[in-house]
Amino acid sequence: MSAPLRRLRETPRHLLVCERSHVRHERSRHAARVRGHAYNCRVSFLIPECGVLPEPLKSVTTDMGEYYLVKNLPLHELVAQEFISAFVKTGSCYALSYNTRIDQDNTAALLPTDCHSPLKHIGKLILSVDKDTYEELGLQGRPSRYSGKKIMRYIITIDLTDSAFHSDSKKYKRVLWALRDKKPLEFDFLLSWHHTGADGSTLMSYFSKHQIQAHQPKITFSTLRNLQCPVLCSNELQGKPEESCSAQELFEWLGAVFSNVELDNKSFSFVSTYCCPEPSTMMDQAYLCTITGFILPEKIIQLLDQLCAYFDDPKLAQWVTLTVHGFADSPVSWRENEHGFQKGGENLYNFVVFRSLDYWLQMAVGANDDCPP
Amino acid sequence: MLTGLSFNFTLRLYSSRNENMSQSSLYNQNAKLGYSTVAINHVIDFKEKKQEIPKPISPSELLPSLPIIPGKLKPIKIVTRLTLVVSDPSHCNVLRATSSNIRLYDIIAVFPKTEKLFHVACTNLDVDLICISVTEKLPFYFRRPPVNMAIDRGIYFEVLYTPAIKDSTMRRYTISNALSLVQICKGKNVIISSAAERPLELRGPYDVANLGLLFGLSESDAKAAVSTNCRAILLHGETRKTACGVVYTMKKPQPVEEEEETLPACKRAKTQV
Repeated sequence: MSAPLRRLRETPRHLLVCERSHVRHERSRHAARVRGHAYNCRVSFLIPECGVLPEPLKSVTTDMGEYYLVKNLPLHELVAQEFISAFVKTGSCYALSYNTRIDQDNTAALLPTDCHSPLKHIGKLILSVDKDTYEELGLQGRPSRYSGKKIMRYIITIDLTDSAFHSDSKKYKRVLWALRDKKPLEFDFLLSWHHTGADGSTLMSYFSKHQIQAHQPKITFSTLRNLQCPVLCSNELQGKPEESCSAQELFEWLGAVFSNVELDNKSFSFVSTYCCPEPSTMMDQAYLCTITGFILPEKIIQLLDQLCAYFDDPKLAQWVTLTVHGFADSPVSWRENEHGFQKGGENLYNFVVFRSLDYWLQMAVGANDDCPP
Repeated sequence: MLTGLSFNFTLRLYSSRNENMSQSSLYNQNAKLGYSTVAINHVIDFKEKKQEIPKPISPSELLPSLPIIPGKLKPIKIVTRLTLVVSDPSHCNVLRATSSNIRLYDIIAVFPKTEKLFHVACTNLDVDLICISVTEKLPFYFRRPPVNMAIDRGIYFEVLYTPAIKDSTMRRYTISNALSLVQICKGKNVIISSAAERPLELRGPYDVANLGLLFGLSESDAKAAVSTNCRAILLHGETRKTACGVVYTMKKPQPVEEEEETLPACKRAKTQV
């Protein structure tokens, strides 16, 4: 009888990894972490004591790049040699199936970077399929790590830029046969392509036969007034009592701010009893900007650089934060770590950049996830 | 963050009346909550005099078009289910009859009222689900041997949650009965379903999985109770139409008569199904 009660008191498994470094440090891994998290659906930044956004930041936020939504795209089109040579090998091509749930449907994703050589352009097609589809498809994969005793989910990884994956190889023929003839799979895809250099053909023209639409990320700006915010000390990740708050308290406070929760624990409020962690200061205003869409890591790195450049001129703010949420239904979280959806599919990271260009990086995942790197 | 509450499998509806208006709102609510398969339940209580088992209603008769689950592009799937409330061993004979309409249902469930019938249901009867009473104190205790035999045969136990929404006494009975079941079966082969007659009595799949924690299931068992176990029940029901679950027969469409006459009798196909 006591086992269920004990279980009720425990919260579902979740992980929060906090690390601290300096932006200009030669071994700082902030760019690698951002590049490792391929699929981002929401980016928000909060600048305390700021009423108007400076021009360089505004131009970066409005130029977050466009993404495309293709409906009913057969999966074998992503394995076609023309697609690979036109987009996968010449730039970073990101694709994620849209409107599919990771815990019940088949999901497909195209990852552009290799964990070992981040500058080389490669393409890995990752399929997360259920048991019936796996048995009908005929490609080799491994069981999902979060499947339990009865395996219900399999992950298939196909390296598209492998030297053995050219038109005459047996491997290519098998993959094409499985995806085109044996079990044709079709998804709606969110696509984006980052490339440097000459333009050549674009995704819009390549997929003109299918229903492709270009979308711009949605941007909202708001100014928060009279906000209580915690005092932070860049050297103390754990916080010192009476002097500064810890990284976990900041994380919770940030979540409360993004959810528009009242922070003063009024006695008549039924929604929340959350208070701002002590010690705290009262800010007159803070600038909050949220960008929603299919956002590429390369754009996030540009935004992060601009936020660091915000402190080039003397400012009232002690720190700024940049929060990036990943898709709840993507098959991977960081690099090729598998991502699952137990009761929530959160995989997000948060940068806190201080005036001295020290930064805190917090990476959080939910229940069915590997530990972030 | 994408927050789609769309989910995998079943939810049981309890309706033996044909009120089309309320039913379409039930299906819409199901699709909105994110269930992808719904089972319509017909309850046959043998205590009343001589009940004939009706043919199952086909889903296309109920609704002209099935509601589409938001966040996906597929419509909801509707299957049919029959529940037999048995309080006497002679009531089980209908399951062995080959000519009745029982074969047309996708899932067959039995609701035993006595310990002997529970034992018979776990060991002998050809059913997919055994319902556990949640509205009254359990008339008998569960014992491990028949429950383990049922698990080996692929039979699942069903706990309802809608009576718990309606009344606080039934809430106590639901929790205590479910706890004793889960203690004996160790969390395996349990599903949680609703017996909703109105859209307000439905709850989302993740909420129902959380309710499973209260019944003593672990996190993964509770989620399986709403998803993979239900899929297993549907497959178990399908094997009743096959030979031992291995061979599946389908009627071949009859060839047109005129083509056959041109061939001499000896050359006509020997097997004519």
